[in-house]
Amino acid sequence: MPIMTISEALRSTLIQVMQNDDRVTLVGEDLSMGVFGVTSGLDCEFGSDRVINTPISETAFVGMGIGAAMTGLKPIIEVMFCDFMGVCFDQILNQAAKTHFLSGGAVDIPLVIRTTMGAGDGSGAMHSQSMYGLLMQIPGLIIACPSTPADASGLLKTAIQSNTPVILMEHKGLYNVKGEVDQTISAVSFGEGSIVKEGSDVTIVALSKMSHVSCEAAQLLGREGISVEVIDPRTISPLDTGIIADSIRKTGRLIVVDEGTAIAGFADHVISNVVENNFDALKCAPRKIVPPHTPVPYGRSAETVWLPNANNIVGVVRDLMRSSDE
Amino acid sequence: MEVDDLKTIFADAWFIRAFEDCVAALSAAGKTPGLVHLSHGSEVADVMLRRHLQPSTDKITGSHRSHSLALIGDVDPVVLAAEIMGLSGGTGSGLGGTQHIVSKDTLFLSSNGIVGAQVPIALGAALSARQVKNSGIAVAVFGEGASNQGGVFESLNMATALHLPILFLMQNNQMAQSTHVKDVAVVNLTARARSFGMVAEQADGADVVSLENTFDRLIRYIRETSSPAFIEVSVPRLRGHYHGDQSSDGQSNVDPLMNLQKLLQVQDMQDEEIQTIIDSAKARAKDVVDKAQKQCDRSGAILSDYINNHPQLMGNL
Repeated sequence: MPIMTISEALRSTLIQVMQNDDRVTLVGEDLSMGVFGVTSGLDCEFGSDRVINTPISETAFVGMGIGAAMTGLKPIIEVMFCDFMGVCFDQILNQAAKTHFLSGGAVDIPLVIRTTMGAGDGSGAMHSQSMYGLLMQIPGLIIACPSTPADASGLLKTAIQSNTPVILMEHKGLYNVKGEVDQTISAVSFGEGSIVKEGSDVTIVALSKMSHVSCEAAQLLGREGISVEVIDPRTISPLDTGIIADSIRKTGRLIVVDEGTAIAGFADHVISNVVENNFDALKCAPRKIVPPHTPVPYGRSAETVWLPNANNIVGVVRDLMRSSDE
Repeated sequence: MEVDDLKTIFADAWFIRAFEDCVAALSAAGKTPGLVHLSHGSEVADVMLRRHLQPSTDKITGSHRSHSLALIGDVDPVVLAAEIMGLSGGTGSGLGGTQHIVSKDTLFLSSNGIVGAQVPIALGAALSARQVKNSGIAVAVFGEGASNQGGVFESLNMATALHLPILFLMQNNQMAQSTHVKDVAVVNLTARARSFGMVAEQADGADVVSLENTFDRLIRYIRETSSPAFIEVSVPRLRGHYHGDQSSDGQSNVDPLMNLQKLLQVQDMQDEEIQTIIDSAKARAKDVVDKAQKQCDRSGAILSDYINNHPQLMGNL
């Protein structure tokens, strides 16, 4: 199996689906340049009719994607940073998310929105957010957050086959992560999490960049004899609650490590779901490790402190093990 | 246009008027779950637009005030009336409603509860037509109120930048809910569209000759050049913002249907024949609404079906 980066996996998958289906059309800002290399030069390969560089007008081109999806195309829209969704939020909140429902399910909206997220590269408050917590509160959107090249490729393939809108959120800090990608394997189903590392003492639920950070912590804890299971849900809406519940029934302890919002976001959602449905399996109160409830800061030391890291996780796991030791 | 064309236009426009009168009565009787925004005043302009569109290739998106556009856009009137009442058999089986008519495989594509949001969506229909090279066009219909939305400005620019075959059709009825256009836009709105680099003209929505000439020339131009164009049509708003809103009624006393009737009379059409057309339109509208009223409110069950059929959209699996 070829080894490639997430960026390369996305690019080769885009090429594959565009070769297979003339309806797939890429739309967004600076696509021919390709800010993270995913779409660079694809306009030369497929023509400027199918790789469309737009003006800086997110409302117009996200809306254009919806209209194109309703009338026979399979557009893949790129919103360069998810922070920019603030500019075009109506088209996401009221148009993309609702139109299939408003038609009673009759009108398909095969729309994919690719976007980037994530702190850690000094991009500051308006190019670093991870806004899936906000997006997952909107009925009608499927939201996927790949953490490996194989998942990025597989989730993109599934997204293109979907008849309702999908937002694929790519972490800026992961584009160069390498891994094996079997392009013949078709897809990663939505709502199918993966056990990234098996363990028996503590369950950590973490996605995207944080699943990597959690694995790093799990390795450190393994040396102390603490066995950590890391679950990467891969899609947050729909969420694979089954894989999380199974793990909790095994370990009895839950930590959610997340880069999204501290309030009413992904971490709170996972915890409330587990508490509601598997309270009896819990040996102690679940914990979340999330950034403080502030915008993403710019300075290096501030950004480092803001982001959850392996040491934070190790500390919380030790604490949890101590306090729940029978 | 021949006299027979004028008769057809008159009959079609009167059907829309009669349909909307029936919807007004349904609303007054509490048979529509929400407020209804009626199309009184734009019927003739909408019927004239339809003469220049091809249902197999073209698409219309409209605003919250789109019953008339749905009717000229080949949405079955019974289906439309059912949706307005939130009943089964509607375009969205009652899940969408009067402001959210989303129609599969018809000339009319969708209406919208957000002012101006239908305009970017029409860009997409134009893009699809351009990709498959079928000479299709998109028509984004919006009011002068929506012309101050950022997304509309973006769309005007996008259309010229990408050479999209789209007609921006602004129906200027002077009033954005309760705000007069003179209080919120200091420039001529057609001139504003022209500044984006597209052909932009005006037509009198109470004058079928003006409408015919303008639609004919500009829609042919859009098809032949795959370029956008803009038409500002003045239409009266003969009812309030929504049915029952008395505060801003009667902004205009020019009724395009009356103008057309006078034109027919000048062409020696007899009063009896005119009355027959009107009576027939009213009878047909009543028949349509009666049929729609026989549908049930199954929206609760439809909602359950939607939930069961779309587990991937329900957040948790």
